Amino acid sequence: MTFSHECIVCIVNTGFSDAVMDAAREFGARGGTVIHGRGTVSREAERFFGITIQPDKELVLILVPRDLTDKILHALYRAVGLKTPGQGIAFSLPVDQVVGLSTFSTEESKETTDPAEPTD
Amino acid sequence: MNEQEVKRRRSDRPEKKKKDAALTAPKKLKLLFTVVDRKKAELFADLLSAYSVNLQIVLAGEGTAKTETLRLLGLDDAERAVIVSVIRDDKAPAIFEMLEEKFESVRGGKGIAWSVPMTSAVGVAIYQFLSDYREGQLTPQGQTKGGDGK
Repeated sequence: MTFSHECIVCIVNTGFSDAVMDAAREFGARGGTVIHGRGTVSREAERFFGITIQPDKELVLILVPRDLTDKILHALYRAVGLKTPGQGIAFSLPVDQVVGLSTFSTEESKETTDPAEPTD
Repeated sequence: MNEQEVKRRRSDRPEKKKKDAALTAPKKLKLLFTVVDRKKAELFADLLSAYSVNLQIVLAGEGTAKTETLRLLGLDDAERAVIVSVIRDDKAPAIFEMLEEKFESVRGGKGIAWSVPMTSAVGVAIYQFLSDYREGQLTPQGQTKGGDGK
């Protein structure tokens, strides 16, 4: 089953939500919502892999048309992926119904998206 | 006793008829995300609770849209609330219709909502709670008797 939109969830270290949105906007995303959270990680795994995981996280929810999802996920991987200071992970969820999307198109999104396509 | 007689007798049993009428496939569940201005979170949570929604989580969020976009949409304040609700699939059309209407009509109530299908839930009691299934109150069409009929 395919849907017209998907919800990208990107979990990054606190302070990197702007980097997430900058990367996503580059490929046509219009806006997102940031929720503050606290990550949990196994202390044993941290020691084993020799890394420290910052517990304060930001969860960015971005609603995007289905055809932009892959490009945006790749952009997020490059900009705020696990090997960057943002230590982010990103995934998408299928959205089967949506209301409240604006059909308004900004100059910057015109360059990367079809103006007829509704974006959030 | 011939086969037809057996069938007739079985169909005449009142208890079985009643049981069959109450048997329906489990209603599917969805996760509804509603993003609104934080001041309107309580209003929207209350509106949603009228649609057999038993579990709602309100999270404090912030918008990321650029200021010029915000101004155009009448959303100058970046403080948002993300309401995560578990809704029944059959209630979704009515909920989306209501939300669309409220996004337009409520002053400062402009928002966005979307749903994500849930594929599993563990535990009968949990499912009954999430789907607002009340024993003996569901008709074969899934409408709650004596409820708001939404």
